Amino acid sequence: MTDSLFRSLIKDPPQCPIVVNGVEHQVPVQLSVAAALLYLGHLATRQHPVSGEPRAPFCHMGVCFECLVSIDGQHKQRACLRQITPYMCIETLMAGLN
Amino acid sequence: MNKIYDYLVIGAGPAGMSAAIEASKAGLCVLVLDQAASAGGQIYRNLGQAGSKQAKVLGPDYVSGKPLLARFMAAKCDYQPLVQVWHIEAHEKGFVVAVLVSGESITYVTSHLLLANGAMERPIAIAGWDKPGVMTAGAGQILLKSSALLPKQVVLAGSGPLLLLLAQQYRAAGVTITALLDTTPKSNYWYAIPWLVAGLTTPTQLFKGLWLTLVQRIKIPYISGVSHIEVIGKEHASGVRYTVSGKVYDIACNLIMLHQGLIPQTQMAQLLGCPQVWNDFKQCWQTQVGAAGQTPIDGLQVAGDAGAIGGAYLAQLEGRIAGLARVNSAAELRSRRNKLVNLWLRFRIKQLHWARGLIDRLYQPAAWLSEPSGDTVVCRCEQVSAEAITAIANTGCAGVNQLKSFTRAGMGACQGRQCGLNLGYLVAHAQQRPMSEVEPLTVRPPLSPICLGQLARRSEL
Repeated sequence: MTDSLFRSLIKDPPQCPIVVNGVEHQVPVQLSVAAALLYLGHLATRQHPVSGEPRAPFCHMGVCFECLVSIDGQHKQRACLRQITPYMCIETLMAGLN
Repeated sequence: MNKIYDYLVIGAGPAGMSAAIEASKAGLCVLVLDQAASAGGQIYRNLGQAGSKQAKVLGPDYVSGKPLLARFMAAKCDYQPLVQVWHIEAHEKGFVVAVLVSGESITYVTSHLLLANGAMERPIAIAGWDKPGVMTAGAGQILLKSSALLPKQVVLAGSGPLLLLLAQQYRAAGVTITALLDTTPKSNYWYAIPWLVAGLTTPTQLFKGLWLTLVQRIKIPYISGVSHIEVIGKEHASGVRYTVSGKVYDIACNLIMLHQGLIPQTQMAQLLGCPQVWNDFKQCWQTQVGAAGQTPIDGLQVAGDAGAIGGAYLAQLEGRIAGLARVNSAAELRSRRNKLVNLWLRFRIKQLHWARGLIDRLYQPAAWLSEPSGDTVVCRCEQVSAEAITAIANTGCAGVNQLKSFTRAGMGACQGRQCGLNLGYLVAHAQQRPMSEVEPLTVRPPLSPICLGQLARRSEL
């Protein structure tokens, strides 16, 4: 994780707690899971199963399958198609888990 | 036994909403299935919920979808959001559509089916497009529409109206656009001149487009005549390399948004056996669709960008004529008024598609974009490079489907959505065959991934 490349358009947006890789964060309530990861500064969200190279959300509309993460224990979910919910548990697939 | 719908519409964008409005008005039992959390499609994504600040930044064209959205929400039809269609097949009563809703598989039966599932962005296989820090311009707009998220600093690269619109929206929101690299070949401007006649039939659109193009050129660092873009960086994008008039330049940046126009999402129609036609002008495969959305398959229609790219307004008209055609075939409601509406719609659709020729010709992708080479990743899912694909194509491989068996390209989770077109280009180049002869990847179920547990639990038909 580094400084985020993204910011919210809305000043002081209402927040929602989510848990990413075991750590709790507050993020704007209207984010998709993919957007939340970008907002928190996750440049990459998974390791490619063939090459091991880092990958990140690309299309944000469900066609590229680059944003796969684990959500509440469900493996390989498209992060761009899911809205965050309070205390949603998100695991990025950076440890070769995918 | 499942309820049998009179009309099932896949996609709640302008086309799907319009068709559902017409069909439900005539008393048909209509179901609309959509992937998103709220209706509107990509163009009017999140319009019902977007705040005033978002609406202001996104501009009047976005807000103009509100009346259509309101009419759809008031229509007496069933609407199921957050649905993943994973299979469609012909059935003695019409069609069976299998979907995933909150992790469970459900099937719907319908006598007539309309595919209005829209478009996707043309995949541009440039070196480094698989690195974190690279996404599509459409993705940038989706982040703005649904999540009110903006980049702090960005380079926009490619060609087409959406890229210019995004530049305008980002500028309105105060985003620093380091550069806009325009890959429109200079020769396109000359070739597009004859199409100005067509464009002039929709003068408002034409002048809006011209204004949008001119304003960006003045207000942001706009670099035209760009070719051979590549993303540089190790683990993450750190810059873009590009060529202008034979000279190579580098720009430092850690976020790049690419765009090169749209292509129809044809997978569902292909799965049902609709013939595909190569459109050389629009540089994409298209489903053969009649004037009222009809396909060679009985009871199956396609409307909007899922058929041929035309934009939101055209999609709305195509959805309307498809819905009316469904109603007419059902109830023999061939009233004089309906006939007139039909004639007018047919004329407008023809005219607008013709006018669209200006955009299609002006923003036709440059040749270098269809010639990825070296270790540029073409199939992102299976990490297959352009040179690996070309090597197999050079051995005389029969087409992209055989190429898939040899290289695994097109076999990953996206099922060829991101590589299919470029695999075709590489085979066509290597074997010096026209694209129309290189058949697209065969589509097989599931259209989106489904777990074995979900499959086992699915309710019986």
